Amino acid sequence: MQSDTDPLTAGIGHLYREHHSWLQGWLSRRVGCRENAADLAQDVFVRLLKSERSPSLLQPRAYLSSIARGLMIDHYRRRALEQAYLDSILHLEPCLIPSEEERLVLLDALERLDRLLDRLKPRVREAFLLAQLEGLSCPQIAERLGVSRATVERDLAKALHACYRLHYGDL
Amino acid sequence: MAISETTPLDATVVDQAIGWLVRLRFDRPDPATVQAFEQWLGQHPQHAQAWQRVATLGSEFNGLPPTLARQTLDGAKRQISRREGLKLLGLGLGASSLAWLGREHLPWPGTMADYHTAVGEQRRIVLADGSQLQLNTDSAVDVDFNPQQRQLHLRQGEILVETGADSPYSPARPFWSRTRDGYLHAQRSRFLLRELLHGTLLAVQRGSVTVFAEHGRQTPMRTLGAGEQWLFTANGPLPMANDGLDPWSWSDGVLSARQMRLGAFIDELARYRPGVLRYSPAVADLRVSGTYQLADTDEVLALLAQALPVQVRYRSRYWVTLEVAS
Repeated sequence: MQSDTDPLTAGIGHLYREHHSWLQGWLSRRVGCRENAADLAQDVFVRLLKSERSPSLLQPRAYLSSIARGLMIDHYRRRALEQAYLDSILHLEPCLIPSEEERLVLLDALERLDRLLDRLKPRVREAFLLAQLEGLSCPQIAERLGVSRATVERDLAKALHACYRLHYGDL
Repeated sequence: MAISETTPLDATVVDQAIGWLVRLRFDRPDPATVQAFEQWLGQHPQHAQAWQRVATLGSEFNGLPPTLARQTLDGAKRQISRREGLKLLGLGLGASSLAWLGREHLPWPGTMADYHTAVGEQRRIVLADGSQLQLNTDSAVDVDFNPQQRQLHLRQGEILVETGADSPYSPARPFWSRTRDGYLHAQRSRFLLRELLHGTLLAVQRGSVTVFAEHGRQTPMRTLGAGEQWLFTANGPLPMANDGLDPWSWSDGVLSARQMRLGAFIDELARYRPGVLRYSPAVADLRVSGTYQLADTDEVLALLAQALPVQVRYRSRYWVTLEVAS
């Protein structure tokens, strides 16, 4: 357990007192909404506490804003996914629309996947989706994308490497 | 020997493991490739460890409804790239066209065709869409194709399906299989379905198959990729351990076993023989390896008696028992 007196929490406490309102203003200018900015600023400090790494105090504002930028991107991506999902089910008959619980499970899964796919170049992403989601084989993907089979195999290996790094860290 | 979750493995070995994964999961590997892979796997403990890690890569895709997942991911990507550099919040609403698979499997009064096999009989059928359907012993299936979808209904026994290109339809109509324990959506795949006492076994050799609990259900129970086999039961899906039998071998007219318990092997063989085939508990745990022709089950029993310390007692043509050799 951490207490207020351990150096990590004390360091974050100091950052919070000195820079929280600055961070909230910084976020507010970017997201254009005071409430979202307040939530995001809060999340930055939560993430700091969770990371259990001593925050760099040399350039505290650069440090905080870089975390905030990452969170903002996550936030937008999630919003974009939710919007795209709503577009996709727009014309479904009411009885076929998934329950709230199913929707959240699906969106969480898609969010994890989206983060992975974002690391891939467009052709690699496409090949990986065709293979994993649509079940196409290498020769079929090669035909679809107009590249050689060896290229598809290399692309799929790249995508799987990205998965591997996500799970097990850098090679 | 114990390697923790985060211990780095040699980068070259991980490269090799991923190379094998690409060939085994996304290509149709020939027996020589599989053999070469098994050889590699046994070469070094690190190979096995690397394989254990990479074999589950891509599990992020498990259980996703393919069409809906694809539309959502692509839709989000378009929105993000459209808005990059702009103020990103307040994303606008844009309706996109959709062909969600849930809409495509409404009941349709189409033509029905029934196929079935007797005990010991196997049939191979080419369906109108180019799909290959194989029925194993004592099996029955309905085929129901309409302009919106292709659907099989496994009524009894075991089938092997290789989905066809479905020309001139473009894109191909969705391919559904109905079983006692769920609905399956197959994507350009080769898979087998077998009704067992406690559930329905699904094994996928190529492509992927997504299982839904019921019609119109949007959240699937699971998506299986090449090399996976699961048992779908009333209480949910369970991974199936291999009991030593190659589950695909019957489609070549053989039973192919590797260190399989004799008891399990005889139970399997009994499916292909009319009458009763039993074994005494004393021989049940002997191990069987080899490839046996299903066309002549009496010959299989004779071969077992040669290879193992068992004898075959015929009380009649239809009442046969395996016992300890005297």
